[in-house]
Amino acid sequence: MKPGDALAGEEVLVGAERMKTMSALMRDANPIHFDPDAVRALGLGDRPVNQGPLNQAYVVTMLARWSGGRVRALRLRYLGTVFAGDRVRAGGRVTAIGGGVAECEVWLDVVGGDRVLAGTAVVEVP
Amino acid sequence: MRVPDEAGLAALVGTPLPGGEFTFEPWWVHLVNDCALAPVDGGADSPVFAFLAATAAMGLSWEEMWAMFGATEADGPMAGESVTEVHRPLRVGATYAVRGEIVSAVRKRGARTGVFDLVGYRLDLHDADGCAATCVSSIVFPRRSR
Repeated sequence: MKPGDALAGEEVLVGAERMKTMSALMRDANPIHFDPDAVRALGLGDRPVNQGPLNQAYVVTMLARWSGGRVRALRLRYLGTVFAGDRVRAGGRVTAIGGGVAECEVWLDVVGGDRVLAGTAVVEVP
Repeated sequence: MRVPDEAGLAALVGTPLPGGEFTFEPWWVHLVNDCALAPVDGGADSPVFAFLAATAAMGLSWEEMWAMFGATEADGPMAGESVTEVHRPLRVGATYAVRGEIVSAVRKRGARTGVFDLVGYRLDLHDADGCAATCVSSIVFPRRSR
């Protein structure tokens, strides 16, 4: 592991059924996560919108699989929206290593689309 | 619903959130990891779980949070940025007290977005040993009529 190393997560398909479960788990009543009519009414198309914490989780999973350690800190800007049926891929780059942690730039991209999350992370490394 | 002016926004900084308690129940952690396409036995020790617990037990609903700033879901409030630090491992089965407050609230004007209010709030997870995790997040409130 060294500064400049690239991180790449697996490409994942974002499914509407998991969003419904997540709405229940979060007690999130916002219908944009489970009702296409609500999404349509906002002019956002006709596919439910993925929850922000799930988008964050794709980045965290990539970091944990790469390092084998815990993610201590995460700073993310929300740049866009992920819809049901999108394929997304997390990515990143190591910017510094020392003191048992790696500092990384991280992001989440819609495959064939826009960057939807960007920020930094601190993750424990062996 | 009345939208606060700039002085009103400033006056809301420091407002405590009611807070509450959150327990990382094993079945809940399993299902969240499943939804996130993460290993279901991956535990709750990540910034994502800190954020979920903090917002679940902040003591008010999102609609109540929007109302504090004179907005509703129909106004299209959006997440801006989140900064989460997990100071020590979060444990499945453990209960955390959540405390928080509004830490910033300012009116801005963007060339593309027009007028919006940027509101920051902080939520901490505490256990018997002190603060286990800290989440500082921002919400963007579009103010199309301003």
